[in-house]
Amino acid sequence: MRTFIFFALGVAAFAADGKIQFNRDVRPILSDKCFMCHGPDAKTKGIALRLDSEEAAKRDLGRGRRAIVGGDVAASVLMKRVTAPVPAMRMPPPATGVQLTAAEVETLKNWIGQGAEWEAHWSFIPPVKKPGTIDSFVRERLAREGLAMSGPASREALIRRATLDLTGVTPTVAEVDAFLKEGNYEKVLDRLLHSPRFGERMAARWLDAARYADTNGYQYDGERVMWRWRDYVIESFNKNKPFDKFVVEQIAGDMLPNATFEQKMATAFNRNHRGNTEDGIVAEEYAVEYVVDRIETTSAVFMGLTMGCTRCHNHKYDPLTQKEFYQMFAYFNNVPERGRAMKYGNSPPLMAAPTETQQKKLAAMNAEIARLDAKVPADVAGQRAWEKTLAGAAAWAPFGERDAALPFDDGGAVGRIGGAKLFDGNTVVPGPAKSAQFDIEDRFTMAAWVNGSGTIATRKSSDGYQSKGIGLFLEGGKVHFHISSQWESDALKVETEGTIGEGWHHVVVAYGGTRMAEDARIYVDGVLQKTKFVSDTLYRPFVNAGGKFDASLKVGGGAGKDKRFRGLLDDVRVYGRELRADEIAMMAAGRPLAELAGKKRTELEEKQLRLAYLETSEVWRQAQQLRVERERFERTFPSVMIMAEAPERKKTHLLIRGAYDKPGDEVQPGLPAMLPPLPAGAPNNRLGFAQWLVDRRNPLLARVTVNRFWQSLFGTGIVKTAEDFGQQGEWPSHPELLDWMAVDFMESGWDVKVLLKKIMLSDTYRQSSKTTPVLLAKDPDNRLLARGPRIRMSAEMVRDSALFEAGLLQEQLGGPSVKPYQPDGLWKEVIMQDFDYVQAKGTDLYRRSLYTFWKRTAAPPMMMNFDASQREACMVRENRTNTPLQALNLMNDVTFLEAARFIGQRMILEGGADRDARLRHGFRIVMGRGASEKELGVLRGSLAYHLDHFASHASEREEYLSYGDTAAAKNVDRTELAGYAAVASLLLNTDEAITKE
Amino acid sequence: MMTRRGFMHTAALGSLLAQDGYGAPLAGLPHHAAKAKRVIMLFQHGGPSQLDLFDWKPNLAKVRGQDLPDSVRQGQRLTGMTAYQATFPTAPTVFKFAQHGKSGAWMSELLPHTAKIADQLTIMKSLHTEAINHDPAVTFFQTGFQLAGRPSIGSWLSYGLGSENQDLPSFVVLISQGRGNSQALADRMWGSGFLPTKFQGVKFRSGKDPVLYLSNPDGYTAGARRRFLDDLGQLNQMRLEEYQDPEIATRISQYEMAYRMQTSVPELADMSKEPEKTFEMYGPDSRKPGSYAANCILARRLAERGVRFIQLYHRGWDQHGTLPKQIKWQCEDTDQASAALITDLKQRGLLDDTIVIWGGEFGRTVYSQGELTETNYGRDHHPRCFTMWAAGGGFKSGYTHGETDDFSYNIVKDPMEVHDLNATMMHLLGVDHSRLTFKFQGRHYRLTDVHGKVVPELLA
Repeated sequence: MRTFIFFALGVAAFAADGKIQFNRDVRPILSDKCFMCHGPDAKTKGIALRLDSEEAAKRDLGRGRRAIVGGDVAASVLMKRVTAPVPAMRMPPPATGVQLTAAEVETLKNWIGQGAEWEAHWSFIPPVKKPGTIDSFVRERLAREGLAMSGPASREALIRRATLDLTGVTPTVAEVDAFLKEGNYEKVLDRLLHSPRFGERMAARWLDAARYADTNGYQYDGERVMWRWRDYVIESFNKNKPFDKFVVEQIAGDMLPNATFEQKMATAFNRNHRGNTEDGIVAEEYAVEYVVDRIETTSAVFMGLTMGCTRCHNHKYDPLTQKEFYQMFAYFNNVPERGRAMKYGNSPPLMAAPTETQQKKLAAMNAEIARLDAKVPADVAGQRAWEKTLAGAAAWAPFGERDAALPFDDGGAVGRIGGAKLFDGNTVVPGPAKSAQFDIEDRFTMAAWVNGSGTIATRKSSDGYQSKGIGLFLEGGKVHFHISSQWESDALKVETEGTIGEGWHHVVVAYGGTRMAEDARIYVDGVLQKTKFVSDTLYRPFVNAGGKFDASLKVGGGAGKDKRFRGLLDDVRVYGRELRADEIAMMAAGRPLAELAGKKRTELEEKQLRLAYLETSEVWRQAQQLRVERERFERTFPSVMIMAEAPERKKTHLLIRGAYDKPGDEVQPGLPAMLPPLPAGAPNNRLGFAQWLVDRRNPLLARVTVNRFWQSLFGTGIVKTAEDFGQQGEWPSHPELLDWMAVDFMESGWDVKVLLKKIMLSDTYRQSSKTTPVLLAKDPDNRLLARGPRIRMSAEMVRDSALFEAGLLQEQLGGPSVKPYQPDGLWKEVIMQDFDYVQAKGTDLYRRSLYTFWKRTAAPPMMMNFDASQREACMVRENRTNTPLQALNLMNDVTFLEAARFIGQRMILEGGADRDARLRHGFRIVMGRGASEKELGVLRGSLAYHLDHFASHASEREEYLSYGDTAAAKNVDRTELAGYAAVASLLLNTDEAITKE
Repeated sequence: MMTRRGFMHTAALGSLLAQDGYGAPLAGLPHHAAKAKRVIMLFQHGGPSQLDLFDWKPNLAKVRGQDLPDSVRQGQRLTGMTAYQATFPTAPTVFKFAQHGKSGAWMSELLPHTAKIADQLTIMKSLHTEAINHDPAVTFFQTGFQLAGRPSIGSWLSYGLGSENQDLPSFVVLISQGRGNSQALADRMWGSGFLPTKFQGVKFRSGKDPVLYLSNPDGYTAGARRRFLDDLGQLNQMRLEEYQDPEIATRISQYEMAYRMQTSVPELADMSKEPEKTFEMYGPDSRKPGSYAANCILARRLAERGVRFIQLYHRGWDQHGTLPKQIKWQCEDTDQASAALITDLKQRGLLDDTIVIWGGEFGRTVYSQGELTETNYGRDHHPRCFTMWAAGGGFKSGYTHGETDDFSYNIVKDPMEVHDLNATMMHLLGVDHSRLTFKFQGRHYRLTDVHGKVVPELLA
């Protein structure tokens, strides 16, 4: 209904001067009503007439008939057909259900009559900065309607509006007071722009666009770890990183020359899409979906284009072809990733992303190791003396994390080093208790001297080859290694390509804990082997969903009777770390140390003796121990999924009808032809694409970006369809203003803070948001801006402001996501594994909402009630509804009851002694302005009612005060507290409290 | 002091209220005279086996244990779970089948109650779907597209047809847990996609708060809440007079609806006044809040109150292994209540304008997943054919539509897309599925995407 009023106004208003403008008036009609058949995809439908280009629309269709003849309505076939009385002749065909309105027919007629002047689609032409200011463009537009701007908003309203817009919370009473006194609005803006809350506020909308979440989505929807990228976004806005740089980093930071840690981390933007982990999926299908998601997101966020439409066919409305979709696909298809995502945690490619605190601690550890290393004495004479004391068969073995050692020196057979044990196909030797308790994300190494064939060592749930666990084998001269959670759909299995002959060999597997086959390295006799990845789909931990897995290490068997080892095993060792290649080479050179003492030695043997001697040094042992600790510490770093380029470019094919299993012609990376080419010198890859996005000649990025910032302030963009600047997108309400801002933004060096400040200093922004029946009738949605924005706060603002006003908000930038109050059982009733919502305790209950743990398939209910994006897919348009569920949420959710209790407490403790002063204080805390006499009257009545009620109902009072984990101040009277809490709840429920006025 | 009724009507902008809340139908809707006003969808989540319930294949006994012939499988893609399997042994059902009612519909012994209402049903044996895994298949079923982001059926209908009850949401979701292998649900399955979020399904839960945040805090009485709302109304009214923003008027009305919901929802959920015979009809489980049977009674109560789309989800139909044991549990938990719902609606005269739909996101394979023994087998996902039934609201009763081949593997007669079912359902609700659209990202989207046709044979 509303939309209808606006369109009615719009069309009439636009045509006020009688001159039809193609882009504004005609193109939307052609696009919406005709292009479906007579558009860029006409050819595939076998339709001759195209109306999406001037040349095609005005060409001779045969025998001199033309669809459009400028200045000659009668000769224009198009007019004949759209006005044909016979349904069979009429366009659009009645069967399509599409109809032209009388006004649209009139517009077409007038346009043709006026000469049928054509224009290229506005957003595909670079913006031009016409002289003017934000206000002059707005005033000019209003004047055309016979309207004028409203007066300025009150200072209270203005500071509240600006504070919400820039920091996402309401101003404090003191901040309002200072502004009332000084009146220096620019100073307020500067203060807000420098607040760390600024980055949090800006990041909130960016997370919607980037479909950021803390889970993988789809069916299992297990946890992932992407918050380091979220913090990168906050930090970038706070540092006022130039927006073009921000864009390039997120699209292709990894490909920048000498890419920094931060630039690589930024590319997580395009790994925020969902990842399917279900057992039964066809991985190739989802590998395609991820790339498609990247293109849909990238084109919506940075280009304002709906590229997703061209996945299956040429675009119906915009000059984009299916081939161009796959050319762009090729830019984003070169990631070494897989279709099936890890069920728990992050999927490769990923990087360790230590926090600043962790980076500092790491630096300190490095310094300490260096200090200790420097103190290790050379002590050559000491070593000589020590060597003489050596005896026995003990060989050198790497230091640190020695999890199990079975030297078999008294094994009864002659070994490679000292004795060995003979395995006859029946023997299985248990490892030490509690050894080798590794799960699939632990790093470990297994090593042995082997002379024979069969199972070397295992750790398995039962005595079978396919059972859950780890196994190292030598069979048919090939070394096999596997880790299996579920044979064979959930397993990693590698085998050496080459074979080894009979006799003694040193066999090692060193595993880096990434769940990837490429990370299980096999060494034979100290040399890294080429391996074949037999299976590479490991993703489920042994202790899946809190289950137990306490199988123990077994040597010579444990993987089925038929596979037990036959032959000799010697010096079997298990490490709780991934041994380095040089350490493994030294092991393979092994002879008993005593044999080396005082003899001529190889370089490796020399090194072995030296290391063995150093183990007697306290300082050296400390340094080594610290190295082990450092590695363990590094394992605690959060990781983040990032973009990377595969070493060999993956081929990209056009997919017929968009189906993963119907490849068509191969395509090369490339850009849509209707847009400018790559800038000179830019490579034709993802980095070049990013550079092209931010190139000054690109007509889209700056426009799309300033429009979104405008939307964040005014509720609606200048282009209402913030995600679609194509022909089906809505015509901008102020095209010259949009272009002016876009160019100005680029000229400023893509300075976001400067842009926001300019807009917020304008009269347009500073208007009062009061409206009138006349304005409501003429412009209900305030697209013409004859008044300031009055819009309901976003979900985050509603919650954060309540917590802030209560004094409960815990301000801490960044960190892992937290789990605040949420009704019980919400996850349980929909999920399938043991991944329950464990509510936080203490300060984590009160963090800003952008830190709330986001589970895509069961998103935080309060956020969803207040129109947050579900984060399943990219969302750039802001959406607001007004529902009874919001009312219930604000009245009865513990979050808001506790906030009300603390606002009530503030009224009592800070408001002074008398009731009116306290009520006025509470009103100011929430609304930022003073209460009117009438309003105060309502509050007085409410307070009296509640005080009276709670005074005589002590148990109800205590129940009412029991909501929330944080206890009330001890020195406050309980009845008073309940009474003021009820009034505060009333305040928090007013329309004004949750509205930016 | 102004009364509640007072301020509701002093607002000069009161006429704008109708556009918000759950509201009136879209202009031009219904497109044609509707047979049905509402839908109850009994969604059996996980993919019930058509082979063990409806699609009787007597000849399978002869080829028991034999590999599924390639001529039947036709190289069709398999899920990652059985793609590794070396053989595909044919597994006939272990359950007995018989014909029921005048229509002679075949049903297995697992469904004794459904069998009794066979003549009320339209049994569709020739449904097929695009997806082979739960999440995309359910998302496809509910939103017409495998990937997230589109509105669900109930959202489309609330958006198009509006609400017939000013005290309850127009789209309600009820979830129950099965005893068989369960798969996950997701909010998006009842989400509003790109439609305004007010059209999303509202989950009704068992327990203290059937709707999230419904109850007043402990210690806060209904009287206090009434007083609170009167005070709130006054404050909002003052702001409305000063700012003239119709959103404030809407806010006032939404708080009043919230208040009405605080009464109407518990009243709805309170089954204590249901006569004994209701519980007898729906079975012993119906006394357990949150059970499928209890949700079926709730569904009837919601239908009585004019709620537009009532979506039940019963989990636990994903029988990859130990199917005979698990499917028995599932049927014990659902059969009686599903049948009782039909009978109950009919007795109350509601069946004529209420569509009831029963089924899951896909079928199951004729070959056994894992080992086939005398008494045990499993079945993998099978998108190429599955069985659903519909009743009431203009569906033809006592009619079976479509046929599958001897292995219940391929459809041999009257194939039906999920889009066709949705198009037919919308047709009965007075909606032309090709004309209920919403423009988003430059495109006019609809539930049936670019597919779907009304199946005339299904209409009474």
